Amino acid sequence: MKRRLKDSMYRWFYVLPTVVLVFFIFIVPIIYEVWLSFQAKPVGGEPVFAGLYNYQRLLSSETFYKTVANTIIYSFSSVFVKALIGLGAALLLNEKFWGRGFLRGFSILPWAFPSFVCAVLFWFNYDYRGTFNTLLKALGLQPVHWLSYNNAMLSVVILNIWHGWPFFFMGYLAGLQAIPVDLYEAADIDGATALQKFRHITLPMLKPVILTVVLLSLMWTMGEFTQIYMTTGGGPIDATLTIPIQTYKIAFQTEVNMPLAAAYSILVLPIYLALIYFTLRQMGE
Amino acid sequence: MPTRQNLYKRIVIVFGSTLLLLWIIVPSFWAFKTSLSPHEEAWKPLPSRMTLDHYISLFSPTYEAILRGQGLRATIPDPMIIYISNSFIVSLVASILGVFFGSLAGYSLARFNYPGKRFVVWLVLFAYVFPVFTLMVPITLIIRAIGLYNSLIGLALVHLAYTLPYSTLMMRSYFYGIPVSLEEAALIDGCTRFEALWRIVVPVAVPGFVTAFIFSFTLSWNDLLFALILLNTSKYYTLPIATTFFLFGGEIVDPGGLAATAIFAGIVPAVIYMFVQKYVVVGLIKGAVKM
Repeated sequence: MKRRLKDSMYRWFYVLPTVVLVFFIFIVPIIYEVWLSFQAKPVGGEPVFAGLYNYQRLLSSETFYKTVANTIIYSFSSVFVKALIGLGAALLLNEKFWGRGFLRGFSILPWAFPSFVCAVLFWFNYDYRGTFNTLLKALGLQPVHWLSYNNAMLSVVILNIWHGWPFFFMGYLAGLQAIPVDLYEAADIDGATALQKFRHITLPMLKPVILTVVLLSLMWTMGEFTQIYMTTGGGPIDATLTIPIQTYKIAFQTEVNMPLAAAYSILVLPIYLALIYFTLRQMGE
Repeated sequence: MPTRQNLYKRIVIVFGSTLLLLWIIVPSFWAFKTSLSPHEEAWKPLPSRMTLDHYISLFSPTYEAILRGQGLRATIPDPMIIYISNSFIVSLVASILGVFFGSLAGYSLARFNYPGKRFVVWLVLFAYVFPVFTLMVPITLIIRAIGLYNSLIGLALVHLAYTLPYSTLMMRSYFYGIPVSLEEAALIDGCTRFEALWRIVVPVAVPGFVTAFIFSFTLSWNDLLFALILLNTSKYYTLPIATTFFLFGGEIVDPGGLAATAIFAGIVPAVIYMFVQKYVVVGLIKGAVKM
């Protein structure tokens, strides 16, 4: 009896610090941010209550819609390609061959590099004298201004793909290894082709992993700040201005307007909350 | 005797592996090469000789190296070691605190049932997937209000937003994998709950701690956003901020120094990852993906 009472105290004692910290790092700021978003800051003055002023301002500005569109283009195209490359690499490295172990370890390299390191690597690639243009010239093609208005979005997407695909690869590989071998053996006996086995065994068995990994990566990519900030800074003009960059700019760079940035965050939060909802549901809790 | 299908398979494997290797190596090659090239040859595809000067310069910059950086780097001629140690301090504090509290919570969530547990799990999962950048404004104001603005400790505490939910989920799934019978046996032998935890569970969970620690460490090591908004003095800057010193108007002013900084900052986590690759995979997939 005494032990049972002690136990129930321990249980709470163990989770309490985490609950308190999560409360102060997430819940309190969210509430504070909502309150802040109804304030307005006159130039050089103290913030005053202003109702929906910030929201009206944002909703009537073209930049708002541009940032949402940019974020969606950026994250969806990037995640789509990452998912494909990851699948290809996982299928390849699930086969037995000499050097597989090395290649599996080596494939994690881009993902093991921090975001800002990947951004620096790509500075050298996107520079006019850098890797990509040197390769283009070697192939007899015209060099490209990689970070110009028309190419900037493609360039930040390539950078994100290069950095993020190993996460898909690792997830898929673990998923592939969990598929029972006898399923394939039975299919062999029935005379199934490789394509049929892929469509009717591999894909359905991988489906839960694919969904979870895609959703998680979508969340992270939609929140990517470092790579874009360090390569294009959201520019040129607004070519790569995504939600995280714009939040930072409103709060600390162009406007230095905290209430407006708060309203902006609250306004875009539903996009993320929808994704969070699907992600949590997929994670099966 | 190779059948035709086996031949196709081989071709696909060789072709695929080559493609994969190129895809990883080509984009990372230039920075690596530049970090080992003499300054004059920074933009040559292949250097005529190799040098470690840029790496040595990280720790004690030469006069020439300072002059070369016409950007911010020249006005802040601290050796990079200052920023490297700042990054180390922040990442260490954030990951140790995160893993400590995270494993306590993870243990409780994996082992016990009590009212409110579901809520805690939801809270942690929510924190894990929540886009923290949306909170940059209130977090900045709160950190300023409690007097932790422009301090490494303040930054480390905010980094708990990354490390704590991850560690909790990771350790929970790890503790799930350790049979309860181990502890029960210890309890029957007269251990207290705490002794059973400390003597039996903790040693078995070491790989879990290692994974949670390494991943947390890199989460914090990676962060540019909160370092940018919470630090104000160059002596407190972390590595991600310091790398931007090498740019001026979008131009790289000291390619060798920049490349050496980036390779140094990347090689630390990369080498650790390769060693613990298996744990990382298990940790991430189990922590994040329910299979």
